[in-house]
Amino acid sequence: MPVRTPHFPDLLFDAAVRLRRWEGALMALLDAHGYRELHPSLVLREPVPEGVLRFFDGDDLVALRWDFTVALAGLLARRFPEPPDRVAYAGAVFRRPVQPWEAVERFEVGCERIQPAEEPSAEADVELARLLMAVPQALGLKHAILHLGHAALVRRPLEAEQLPPDLAKAVVAALSRRAAHRVREALADHPAARRLTAHAEALLADLDGPDTLKALDASPYADLLAEERAHMDRALRALLPILPDRLDLRVDLADVAGLDFYTGPTLRLWAPGAQQELAAGGRYDHLFPELARPWQAAGFCVRLSRLLDLAGTRPDLFEQP
Amino acid sequence: MTAPVLIAFPKGRLGDALVPRLAGTPLALDAAALKSRVLRIPTATPGVLALLLKGSDLPRYVAAGVASLGIVGSDTLDELDMDLLELADLGFGACRLCLCAPAEVALEDLKARPHLRLATKFPRATEAWLAREGLTAELVPLSSSVELAPLLGLADAIVDLVQTGATLKAHGLAVTAVLGRSSARLIAARGAALSEPGRIRPLADILLKALG
Repeated sequence: MPVRTPHFPDLLFDAAVRLRRWEGALMALLDAHGYRELHPSLVLREPVPEGVLRFFDGDDLVALRWDFTVALAGLLARRFPEPPDRVAYAGAVFRRPVQPWEAVERFEVGCERIQPAEEPSAEADVELARLLMAVPQALGLKHAILHLGHAALVRRPLEAEQLPPDLAKAVVAALSRRAAHRVREALADHPAARRLTAHAEALLADLDGPDTLKALDASPYADLLAEERAHMDRALRALLPILPDRLDLRVDLADVAGLDFYTGPTLRLWAPGAQQELAAGGRYDHLFPELARPWQAAGFCVRLSRLLDLAGTRPDLFEQP
Repeated sequence: MTAPVLIAFPKGRLGDALVPRLAGTPLALDAAALKSRVLRIPTATPGVLALLLKGSDLPRYVAAGVASLGIVGSDTLDELDMDLLELADLGFGACRLCLCAPAEVALEDLKARPHLRLATKFPRATEAWLAREGLTAELVPLSSSVELAPLLGLADAIVDLVQTGATLKAHGLAVTAVLGRSSARLIAARGAALSEPGRIRPLADILLKALG
């Protein structure tokens, strides 16, 4: 059989040491904040989506764990009548690569904050953002950028306009490219074309700092999104005074990555010059109700495989241990 | 030392149109290097290099983050559908993606054929059009000289970019349907644009001012 590196990378000495060190540092950070580890099985026996690694175990079709959040949700819904409020995880997930440079085996560390549906969630969102703000120091990253977004800024106007799924998908794809002109092209002569294009232009306005939220003034959906805006404003007020020196905080109103999963605030961690985000997360309140549990949840995942790649190509971004 | 910023420019039709527009700007390409066979061209801004690439390869360099910015036709972007940012429609290099057949063949004739064969460099856009029209066809993938295919019996018609129509006319072909429109787009690597906006945005603004 041909060896298909880099899809199946072997970690040699320095990278293996780095992985263990980072896993240890991040799990210690999460433990110090009350997040207790759960370890869902690597082999899953449940319906699996496209893109995961599947194989037959005798007559049974099984799959390797492809996503910690989904695997943990299954475990929690099966085993816990009441949710543990804070859980952490570390290990590998396996997915078929979408891009040619992506590995199949991906190492991750992450955490989830779970609450009964009726509890207020704003404090949990800020707690997770504060925790993610501590991650660059734990990893020895010299500088990082934290992007705050909110899935509802795009989701709610699309729902309000009752766009057909294909058209909504085209608008989201255009926003993912940060291309307001593509939103206009996609909507063509749809009755909501003018409103949604103006909204896309507002989301993509080139502002910086706390003023970024003012861009929403220009949106036809400003009133519809008042609650989300207030939520982001409160989060910024809580986070900016405690921002570590090595971290920039930016508001990314047009963040649509994972829009079919996230329902509320989103978090993404970048390093200057990195080609992919190093950590990502947000609020996903639909997951547990789909498993018949009246719980809400948010979390983030640190993508250690991407960090290992970055340490190999840009060692200057990291402190020497 | 900071690594140079690479900007990917297309060779060919679009490249011919944009190089003169950059003259006199901070991103003007070094004239001597342009005349050589070198593919990494210094610009008037130290630390910023231009890459000259085939259009169909260019988005890969940007999506992988090798080049931070690039200029490419929207037809190529639509075919490859890579993960990158599309900062602006620059407007120039406008052309149409057309179904073209021998001049005496009408669209209805093509639609009525039980086994339609279409030669193209644009299979994705062609499949999307076929789906919209409720048609099926055998696609013949070609990478150059597509106009020859109907003349030599390799296909019934072609789907290709048409700017003036002169090449079509020279081969006895005519536009039967317009599938879409294409123009030059300013693209950016997602990582570079989102993690280093202070470094990338000023260069994008120079390109927008010169080319937009």
